[in-house]
Amino acid sequence: MNKTWIVTWETYLRQIKSWSFLSLVLMPFLFVGLTFGISYFAAPNQSENDIAVVSSTPQLRQTFLKQSHVTTTNKYATLKSAKAATKRNDIAGYLILTANQQRVTATFHGPSAVSSGDKAKIQQFLVATQTQLNVQQAKLTTTQTMALAVQPQFTQKLQKHAASDKLAKMVSFYIIVFFVYLILTTYSSITAQEIASEKGTKIMEVIFSSTTPRKYFNGKVYGVLLVIVTQLLVYLLGGFAAVQLAQHSSVTIDFWKQNTDLINQVLHNLLSVNLLFALLAVLLYTVVSAFCGALVTRVEDAGKAAQPVVYLNLLTFVVALAFQSSPTNTFVTIFSYVPFFSSYLMPLRLINGAATMPVALISLAILLATIVGSMLYIGRIYGGLMLQTDELGFWGNLKRGLSLK
Amino acid sequence: MLSVAHIHKSFGTVTALNDVSFDVHDGEIMGLIGQNGAGKSTTFHSILNFLAFDGQITWNGQPLTADDYDQIGYLPEERSLMSKLTITQQIVYLARLKNQSANVTKSKIDDWMKRFAVKGQPNDKINKLSKGNQQKVQLICTLIHDPKLIILDEPFSGLDPVNADLLKQAIIDAKNRGAAIIFSSHDMSNVEAICDSLVMLRNGEVVLQGTVDDVRNQFGRTRLFLTTDWTEEQLAALPGVLTVTPQGTERYRLELQNAEAGRAIFDQVTAGQYIQEFSQQPPTLDEIFRTEVRGVDHE
Repeated sequence: MNKTWIVTWETYLRQIKSWSFLSLVLMPFLFVGLTFGISYFAAPNQSENDIAVVSSTPQLRQTFLKQSHVTTTNKYATLKSAKAATKRNDIAGYLILTANQQRVTATFHGPSAVSSGDKAKIQQFLVATQTQLNVQQAKLTTTQTMALAVQPQFTQKLQKHAASDKLAKMVSFYIIVFFVYLILTTYSSITAQEIASEKGTKIMEVIFSSTTPRKYFNGKVYGVLLVIVTQLLVYLLGGFAAVQLAQHSSVTIDFWKQNTDLINQVLHNLLSVNLLFALLAVLLYTVVSAFCGALVTRVEDAGKAAQPVVYLNLLTFVVALAFQSSPTNTFVTIFSYVPFFSSYLMPLRLINGAATMPVALISLAILLATIVGSMLYIGRIYGGLMLQTDELGFWGNLKRGLSLK
Repeated sequence: MLSVAHIHKSFGTVTALNDVSFDVHDGEIMGLIGQNGAGKSTTFHSILNFLAFDGQITWNGQPLTADDYDQIGYLPEERSLMSKLTITQQIVYLARLKNQSANVTKSKIDDWMKRFAVKGQPNDKINKLSKGNQQKVQLICTLIHDPKLIILDEPFSGLDPVNADLLKQAIIDAKNRGAAIIFSSHDMSNVEAICDSLVMLRNGEVVLQGTVDDVRNQFGRTRLFLTTDWTEEQLAALPGVLTVTPQGTERYRLELQNAEAGRAIFDQVTAGQYIQEFSQQPPTLDEIFRTEVRGVDHE
């Protein structure tokens, strides 16, 4: 096997077997699962929200239970048992329904008021029942009855597509920006620390007596890239499973149906060329992080190694957030071609329709050329940097490292 | 054969190596000696292409390239392994970088661990091993792929005499299968015991070079070990004797002005009679090392 791939495989296996990787990958799923779990268990007992219905007219009671759509319980039919259940907090309260002298009345008894939704449903039921009684009492003809049954109509014609479009853009932008930021910060630190901790040991001399620094460097970068791809795949598969679940679960099916357009647009924005920008950004940051890691001379300084890259990432992240509502700004347009910035700003332009695919491909080509150029250059000086272990400060280390080879 | 020809290396204004040349033939062990900072590690780093240098280094007549790396076994001065790996993982990984198949390497690990008396199991993590055992694992990593060029930077450092003997035997075995071996050491007894030739560096320059015997003999047989009933004063009065050092009952170590003085001393001390010991020897490598380090001209 090619030595680059031996290093790639070794780096990959070591990373994905580590607890930090497992926790990184599983954290979002755990977080979502935990949120659902907590809300499920923290939600009040179902029966505690029920309302008992008591009436001296059993038919009226049964009609209410069947037609009112209020969360009711059939368990307590007598006033005594309903009172007792309310006192025990087993139910939210009880409703006494009466129909005296052709008037329907409903009185709620409970420790707190009924929800506005239930109140509206109760009133709706009372109006319908009362209307029915009134019609019967008035002895109207069928035509009169039908005339009285005519209801006014209120409809809304919203610019639904435009509204969901705007929301979709915002959601997509935030998901992309935060995802890229988090993943870049994480992997920049992992890479820089891994390289820096290796540098502090003489194992590099043993390795460089077996393969060239360039092959080793490329292997490390590819290894980290594979780890990121694995993480993305896990997220994609997890996301796919979540989508399937949401489409079919009774809990989320209503939400899914109401927001299908929005969700589809967000998914379309995420699973596009923007994903490629995210991947290449990680690759570029990994290469630069490896370079920063190689400039550190002591294992103890490994933590500091990633700082320049982390700050650069923070800067580009803040710029992206600052210009989120100005995708056509000249600064955004120019910097959407500049590597490091382009991974945030070109997706911003794409999502908002401020850039076309050919323009995105040009930016991608520049990003790719920068990555290839960086890998070639850093691969060439990598051996010198890794074998330079005298503490000479940042520039001194760089100068000495460059002079070794 | 490894050939180092006129290499020169400077770090800024500091000259680390100046016109260093030597050859190491297949089946030969060469000792590279010198004080700290003499240029030993820089020489090794130059051979391994870690550094840019002036001059020429060839392996079997060709400049040493990455293609030759599989034939090299290198042990750096400071020991270091990947502490989170197991012994097997570490050895297999480094052997795979030498293009050795994992299965072949795994099949050899038990034998090598026995050979170096490593206390531990192949699946033990490196960081669970004692420092000495980690050092042995690193030696196994250096030698398990049967390299043809072996470069050992202070291999005996930190090893007790028993383990040093195990390493010596491993080096001799490698020599017997035809490997060219070059190692640095501060312990001249090890160099004297197993080296065919040596190069001594001082301030980046070669000050001594040749077979161990040749180098020692360059200094003349001026050490005389003598067991006699003569007194210290009588011996000191002999012509050509510089110093007399008692070394036990009736045993002395004499330092002579020159080797030729030995014959007259022999005649006088023995007077044609049997004596238990009269041994005229060149200085030991240790003595030569100390003399050369002080920069004393032996001419």
